[in-house]
Amino acid sequence: MRESGCKGCSASVRLKQSEVDRILADYLRENPAPLVSDVTYADRLRVCRDCSQLQYGTTCSHCGCLVQVMAKLRDKHCPAPQAPAW
Amino acid sequence: MNKIVINTDTGKHKIDRHIYGHFSEHLGRCIYDGYWVGEDSPIPNERGIRKDIVKALKKAKTPNMRWPGGCFADEYHWKDGIGPREERPTMINTHWGGVTENNHFGTHEFLDLCEQIGCEPYICGNVGSGTVQEMSQWVEYVNFDGVSPMANLRRENGRDKPWNVTFWGVGNENWGCGGNMRPEYYADLVRRYGCYCRNYPNRKLYKIACGPNGADYEWTDVLMRQMAKTPGDWTFDIDALTLHYYCVSGKESRSATKFKESDWFAQLQRALVMDELLVKHGAIMDRHDPEKRVAMIVDEWGTWHHVEPGTNPGFLYQQNSLRDALVAALNLDIFNRHCERVRMCNIAQTVNVLQAMILTEGEKMLLTPTYHVFEMYAVHQDATLLPMDIETEQYKFGDESIPAVSGSASLDGAGKVHITLSNTNPKKAVEVSIDVRGSKVAKVSGRILTAAKMTAHNTFTKADTVKPEKFTGTRRRGNTLSVTMPSKSVVVLELS
Repeated sequence: MRESGCKGCSASVRLKQSEVDRILADYLRENPAPLVSDVTYADRLRVCRDCSQLQYGTTCSHCGCLVQVMAKLRDKHCPAPQAPAW
Repeated sequence: MNKIVINTDTGKHKIDRHIYGHFSEHLGRCIYDGYWVGEDSPIPNERGIRKDIVKALKKAKTPNMRWPGGCFADEYHWKDGIGPREERPTMINTHWGGVTENNHFGTHEFLDLCEQIGCEPYICGNVGSGTVQEMSQWVEYVNFDGVSPMANLRRENGRDKPWNVTFWGVGNENWGCGGNMRPEYYADLVRRYGCYCRNYPNRKLYKIACGPNGADYEWTDVLMRQMAKTPGDWTFDIDALTLHYYCVSGKESRSATKFKESDWFAQLQRALVMDELLVKHGAIMDRHDPEKRVAMIVDEWGTWHHVEPGTNPGFLYQQNSLRDALVAALNLDIFNRHCERVRMCNIAQTVNVLQAMILTEGEKMLLTPTYHVFEMYAVHQDATLLPMDIETEQYKFGDESIPAVSGSASLDGAGKVHITLSNTNPKKAVEVSIDVRGSKVAKVSGRILTAAKMTAHNTFTKADTVKPEKFTGTRRRGNTLSVTMPSKSVVVLELS
């Protein structure tokens, strides 16, 4: 497939930290939601970093989400089937 | 008043069930963490393939599945995807953002998926970076029952009998990421590839050439001219040309679920462009092939929104609202009406990518509004298209307008007439009078897909926000039906 302008063919799944930061900021601006504390956020990300389902250092293969975004949100949970890690 | 006349005794052309086909690419989470969870997954699976997805696709009567791409097809080397999984090489899928591809889902797994669903496989070969020998051997591996190097290799990998796959694509988007070819050059390649893709006993191949991108009428004209000896007489047995057209969203927003009426209107307006494309490409094909021996196959179509917020941009994971359902309905009605030339279509893509039927998150799965349209419209599969005249009011937005009422009708093998209708207006119900001629109508039943908001969609916590309900908005007087269609709705009626 090729979209006009070919975003798909040029977009990389490997994101720079600046891109992750931008996506997180955009998400929080457009979807205001309760957040976790910095300590919980760090704990969650530590779990994600050790998970075999983390792809490209950013992406959970179970849901396609950037863990840096989802771990920030109080009401989100690890989507691992039957055994969520947080 | 909107008026429809349907003649039930003058249908000529079959609506091929393959119009309701699907497309699944190695992209995002369509294959991996979509269909394929692996044999050791706690998610219920059959040989690594999710059971809940297979069950849903069977229910919707999925007739075929196109694979492995898309762009991915033109860098896919099928021999990387056979044999013991732990020995298969890992590669980089450069077309889709440098994804790591471990080849655990290959030819055997794909054909197992199709067998589990009960659908026909449609395999797209590699022309962009592959060879004639490679594609020829793939056909031999999949379809030859005798003794040969490829048939023997298949047996070594655990499959005795051939799968006998009919549908084979000769490359993908070879005007673009499939090799940036000129139509003149590609036309010669198609003839060459077609020559070496053999018809083994019990399986005549249906060979599908890469057709135009959207409104590239020059591509269609050159291909039809160069592959025909004389008008209407094909040199090689190419059976179809493809067309790709995506309906990119938005006027003010490209969000899948946060949009205004301007975005709703623009999206449906773009969906209706499909009709113009089929008319114009069809006219060119008619010049070279008046007998319509060569089919048009729309093997990539659907909506293209921004990815869901917070997800990886390279995965093309988008939500799916009532607006997507209307796009699907409009397009399926268009394909039905063009069924004399259009004999297969493949929406992009089945799971977790673009206008998906199904979304997954871990073990959770939801059916999208688009899925429900496909399930409702399955009644048209292999039925006879019935001529339908529509007089419709316009849905106006600003200075522009589109038809408010769209539809198609068919007669199935059991003698039942099915009518599908859409009301594109998100603010106004429409009254439709349907005059059914040629047979007696004794009973009418129906289902409807609609919602209170045009942005309505299903989520993993509210998976049934948009789902078909019993439709009670029809009154019958003899052979005349009076139908009240709510705003932004899709209806299927069954007459018996």
